[in-house]
Amino acid sequence: MTEVILEDRSRDMCPICKTDKYLSPNMNFLINPECYHKMCESCVDRIFSLGPAPCPYPGCGKILRKNRFKQQVFDDLQIEREIDIRKKVLSVHNKLQEDFDLISEHNKYLEMIENLVYGISSGDNAHDLEIELAKFEQENKVQILERNMRESERSNDMAKFQDAMERLRQEKLKIERKMELEDEEFTKQQKQELLNKLAHSSLNSDELIQQQMNQALKRKSQRKKILQELQSEMEDKLRTSFSSAKEEAPKTPFTPFKGDRDLHKLYRLLPIPMDIDTLMAGNSDPDSYSDANLTLLAKNKEYLAAGWRLHTAVERVMDETFMGLGCIVDKEKSISIH
Amino acid sequence: MTEAETDTENVPQSKYTKDKKVGEGTYAVVYLGVQKHTKRKIAIKEIKTGLFKDGLDMSALREVKYLQELRHPNVIELVDVFGTSNNLNLVLEFLPCDLEVLIKSKDIMFLAADIKSWLLMTFRGLHHCHRMSILHRDLKPNNLLLAPDGQLKIADFGLARGLGNLNEDLSSNVVTRWYRAPELLFGAKHYTAAIDIWSVGIIFAELMLRIPYLPGKDDVDQLDVTFKALGTPTEQIWPNVSNLPLYNSLRVYPPPSRQELRNRFIAATDKALDLMISMTQLDPSRRCNTSQALLHEYFTELPSPTDPKNLPKNKPNEPTVESNGNTTKRRKVE
Ligand SMILES: Nc1ncnc2c1ncn2[C@@H]1O[C@H](COP(=O)(O)OP(=O)(O)O)[C@@H](O)[C@H]1O
Ligand SMILES: [Zn+2]
Ligand SMILES: [Zn+2]
Repeated sequence: MTEVILEDRSRDMCPICKTDKYLSPNMNFLINPECYHKMCESCVDRIFSLGPAPCPYPGCGKILRKNRFKQQVFDDLQIEREIDIRKKVLSVHNKLQEDFDLISEHNKYLEMIENLVYGISSGDNAHDLEIELAKFEQENKVQILERNMRESERSNDMAKFQDAMERLRQEKLKIERKMELEDEEFTKQQKQELLNKLAHSSLNSDELIQQQMNQALKRKSQRKKILQELQSEMEDKLRTSFSSAKEEAPKTPFTPFKGDRDLHKLYRLLPIPMDIDTLMAGNSDPDSYSDANLTLLAKNKEYLAAGWRLHTAVERVMDETFMGLGCIVDKEKSISIH
Repeated sequence: MTEAETDTENVPQSKYTKDKKVGEGTYAVVYLGVQKHTKRKIAIKEIKTGLFKDGLDMSALREVKYLQELRHPNVIELVDVFGTSNNLNLVLEFLPCDLEVLIKSKDIMFLAADIKSWLLMTFRGLHHCHRMSILHRDLKPNNLLLAPDGQLKIADFGLARGLGNLNEDLSSNVVTRWYRAPELLFGAKHYTAAIDIWSVGIIFAELMLRIPYLPGKDDVDQLDVTFKALGTPTEQIWPNVSNLPLYNSLRVYPPPSRQELRNRFIAATDKALDLMISMTQLDPSRRCNTSQALLHEYFTELPSPTDPKNLPKNKPNEPTVESNGNTTKRRKVE
């Protein structure tokens, strides 16, 4: 498993060609999920345009393909990577709730996915898990594809939704992690403070400890409140993004003609000889239309070259003859569109 | 049936205001106005009758004749016609933008779904025309107007023509050159609705490329440009073509391979290419018709066509539909 190198301070400089974003503001950084080493777009173009090539980072050497490079979405490469892994895992383990008879089985399945994502992104046996996943994919290719196809109709909206949900989840995690760190810091500080006060204050130790405990309690309840607010804010956001995804969903079935089509003709067309030879022979079918003039045109090479066909001509004449029959003018007028 | 009805008895022009000139065409001046009793915005096309010694220009009459027969959400609506002492006035729905303007606005991005939506609306409108045996004969981006709600409307029926008399010769000098079908380039006089399909095919290509697909410099060059892109027709792929009046000594180009088309239309899906190829068949009898086009899988494959109200619009800093005086003045600062 490759280790993710966290960016250093020189985040606005391409580590390969040393171009500075400050000097060329149009510069874009790309990463490749093979190793997550960041480089600028023109480096990617230069190095990988001719085909797969090793990553230019010292000591990396992973073989990278140009079409796998992508823009970094999250500042934190760990998160970026976890999302890629989740995407990958979900593309292989792509069963849906409807594929399970029991909710509990579905839940187990989801748990398995979570463990797998966690295992690949941070476990010791990540490499084995990855190989296992690839093997599973190979062996279940057809079923996976089938489920994907079924999904792809719904996925248009869903992909967006899942993306949004993932972002929110990660956002929340980040905040929680930050709070944990702050808490640790706070406890350390309190300890230090207590020691200082014990040395210099006139209050006795019990009182001082009580004071600190009150402080900690107050802080804790504040924290709880913030987290709760955060949670409900997230849920709100999710709900709105979900409902907007829902809103787009009730697609009216596609109607190519919107009703402007003669599906039920009031007449039935007799067979019309398609090939010129039959017409030329002059033995016109007694069950077809015989119009000397039309037959003449049907033999005219200039008419034929310009796309004129006997069949369409007859059909048009019939359409025009029957057009308007069965149409009540007064009724049509009263529902005239506006 | 009270006020509106009695209004009709009055002088017709009093039902509309003629506010300001918005454009000038070959045979008409176009004004922006309002239909007084509905407050609806309208365009008044005032035909310059004085210009023609025998009275009205044919195109004006054609426009009135054919628009009166057509009624479809994707065909411009002729609201009214009235004559004043020396003018003929067509009252049309007001359509503030056209597809050419959008194609040329390089900062507006077209999604595949947007192009699909415009093409779909064009075909629906054209299907209606063809169903009524009317050929438009001048389809081009500039004649596909866009309503504020995103609906596309086929407009400018000044060259339109019924498919009526089979023996009568039709003029082959129709359709703006770049969108002219090969049978017209060869001087055919008995062409079919397929000439409109060709034009839409070329417009489809232009929507994807964002530049005109077959920009011939003159009528001779148009043949060359067309066949360079789509191959030179032979009797083999287009039976009887050599019987057309202007078919002679052509430069022979091979038809494009699928891969060449793919390379040219990078963003097009296979279905999109299929449809475009079937619209731009050199032999008009092989071109698809509007029904076949509307039933093509291109329209049902993903992405689905953009809802018209979400389609790209022209930039708001152009004089907008809202003509409450101040907005109309806010022109681009150059
Ligand atoms: N329905 C309409 N709504 C708004 N503007 C219009 C409308 N019809 C025409 N115009 C404007 O008037 C100009 C001239 O129209 P038209 O006479 O149809 O053009 P042409 O003679 O070039 O075909 C157009 O370029 C357009 O700007
Ligand atoms: Zn670089
Ligand atoms: Zn690397």
